[in-house]
Amino acid sequence: MKTWTKLFAGSAVLALTSGVFATAVPTVANAASKPTKITFWHAMTGNYAKALDDQIKAFNASQSKYEIVATAQGDYTTLNQKVMAAAKSKTLPDMAQATYTQVPDYAKDGIVTNLDSQVKGKSGLSKADLKNIYPGFLEQAKYKGSYYAMPFSASVRVMFYNKSILKQYNLAVPKTWDDVAKMAKTLKDHNIAAVGYDKSFDMEWNSMVRSAGVKLVTPAGKVNVNSKQAVAAAKTITDMVDNGEALTAGSDIYGTTNFVNGKTALSFSSSAGISATKAAAPQGFDWGTAVMPSYKGKQATMLAGNNLVTTAQASKKEQAGAFAFMKFLASDKQTEKWAEATGYLPITKKAANSADYKSYLKANPLAKAASDSLPGAFSDTAFLGYQEYRTDLLSATDAMLTKKTAPKDALDTLQKQTTKIVKDNK
Amino acid sequence: MMNNTKPTWRDNLKALGYLLPMLIIVGMFSLYPIIKSLAMSFYTDYNFFTNQVNAIGFDNFKTLWQDDNFHLAVWNTIVFVVGVVPVEIILSLAIASLLNQINRLAGLFRTLYFMPFVTSVVAISMVWRWIYNKDAGLLNYLLGFVGVHPIDWLNDPHYAMPALIILAIWKGLGFNILLFLVALNNVDQRLYDAAMLDGANSWQRFWHVTLPMISPMTFLVTVNAVIGSFKVFDEIFALFGGQPGPGHSTLTVVYYLYQMFYEQNKYGLAAASGVVLFLMILVVTLFQLWWSKKHVHY
Repeated sequence: MKTWTKLFAGSAVLALTSGVFATAVPTVANAASKPTKITFWHAMTGNYAKALDDQIKAFNASQSKYEIVATAQGDYTTLNQKVMAAAKSKTLPDMAQATYTQVPDYAKDGIVTNLDSQVKGKSGLSKADLKNIYPGFLEQAKYKGSYYAMPFSASVRVMFYNKSILKQYNLAVPKTWDDVAKMAKTLKDHNIAAVGYDKSFDMEWNSMVRSAGVKLVTPAGKVNVNSKQAVAAAKTITDMVDNGEALTAGSDIYGTTNFVNGKTALSFSSSAGISATKAAAPQGFDWGTAVMPSYKGKQATMLAGNNLVTTAQASKKEQAGAFAFMKFLASDKQTEKWAEATGYLPITKKAANSADYKSYLKANPLAKAASDSLPGAFSDTAFLGYQEYRTDLLSATDAMLTKKTAPKDALDTLQKQTTKIVKDNK
Repeated sequence: MMNNTKPTWRDNLKALGYLLPMLIIVGMFSLYPIIKSLAMSFYTDYNFFTNQVNAIGFDNFKTLWQDDNFHLAVWNTIVFVVGVVPVEIILSLAIASLLNQINRLAGLFRTLYFMPFVTSVVAISMVWRWIYNKDAGLLNYLLGFVGVHPIDWLNDPHYAMPALIILAIWKGLGFNILLFLVALNNVDQRLYDAAMLDGANSWQRFWHVTLPMISPMTFLVTVNAVIGSFKVFDEIFALFGGQPGPGHSTLTVVYYLYQMFYEQNKYGLAAASGVVLFLMILVVTLFQLWWSKKHVHY
């Protein structure tokens, strides 16, 4: 078997290297005149991809040292799978999009590089630059105290509300979960569910638990998913689902369908889902956005989105080029442009407070809730095995919803699973 | 002429030369992955990216033995196979027999039944997601006429597996009908004539002439359907939006394998579940072979 392996490996290497040489040789020869190509894989589609392409063009035109060559790889799941496959076959791009929760696993597998030397290097980011980026986003870019990514797209969970329903039943936009519970009682008599979730309610639950002052998993590796506060929050949610005051999306995956059909008065969604909801809403559908209701007197909302990483298979020069592009995207002007084109949040304070962005918000009131949410925004603790934890978490919420498993039992199981994941990856 | 001469080394080499391209392809894309995945199932501490194996052993199989999710996956797979294969074969044989009887429009019907087979699974699943929709779906609408309350096919763990089975049967019909039609056409008309002379009615003719005569094809179709059903994956992925059904109610062995490999990066465990699936299929197929020796007439 060994010789076979070698034979196949040999022929594969031969095939690959012949390709590499064919492309590498002319690049070296023309290094002086031709820019270094930086390959970049992303998961943007539709309008998002178009906006990104515009930024790539702007970067390529702004300097002559590097040229970004981008490839759309489908959605985040597909991108992740392609990255894993490419890491194995040593065909990784120079840079890629990645969620902050993937970074620990990528770092362990040697897929991403530590960016500390780039960030602190002479063409890196100054103290003022770093201070300009919202600390929540910067924290997401770090793992074990080092930079492994640069922030790029960020969204938060926000609340959508159906203005017509609220008006008809004389209800105000709820500010707290108690308000939500009250309006649910009123709407129940009219066969309207107050609350609409996506297929899973894990992010809303996570926000509630955080409001109650508990981190589901702490940076030190303590697991609190079956803590008193976590079970109580899950029970609040499932009780409402069970008595018809809340709906989950089930096979629709997103709560948008129920919301635009008037089946729910509220819907919780990513702020990046505003454009999708706009597209799905029927003519004349009157709706607004607001910050998530507060729970136990505190407002918290979960940050989502994705960062940019450089891969370990990029050369020093390519890494420098990739970082230059990341820095470009994180500049006030570009992040503001990106935010306006996509509905993601600007990652720098100057961009968020700029006159341009403020006038954009005035013209697009739906986008305002997201930036209003920033003070209460938080990130999950990223840890090794996070992706496995998330699969188990989704199984737990699914069991509570479809099999009617009691929250305490489902979360006890999740606690056991998560504790094991954290321990195994120590 | 050639048959009388003993092949020389030269002839053998020549033959090998002709075979080599195919052997390389089969070796690279079939044999090597099979051997590699078998080996991988014993890797307990393994770096996928550097190919470094730090420890080997039976731990992956032990984990599977203790994993409730894997037990569920095996159970669901068996339920699926038992739910799909018999109905699919009886239905496709019945439809093929009917198609064989009619003269007009037989081509049209054959095409209609074959359509699901050539249509992409994702497209099919999109249509069935609508059919199964609780509020606006066609199936609940039709069931409403006979007084059945709307069923939440895709979100109720009790109905997700039946929904999947119905879809799989419908999808598998076309190809099996085609195979049965070929077999039915090949039955010698004289056998039917002889049976008629002996006074056999149409049911007796079907039971005592048709069934034995097409038994090789029935065997082929059955083996095919069993193996295909054991490996079910894409229908689940598309029908339930990338989830193994509500409450894991349609988690099958291949879906488990997918989750372990792509979602949780537990490559050894994924390979081990593949090996278990292979053994399951092997046992069932060997049983079928043994049984066919007695009941299939070639």
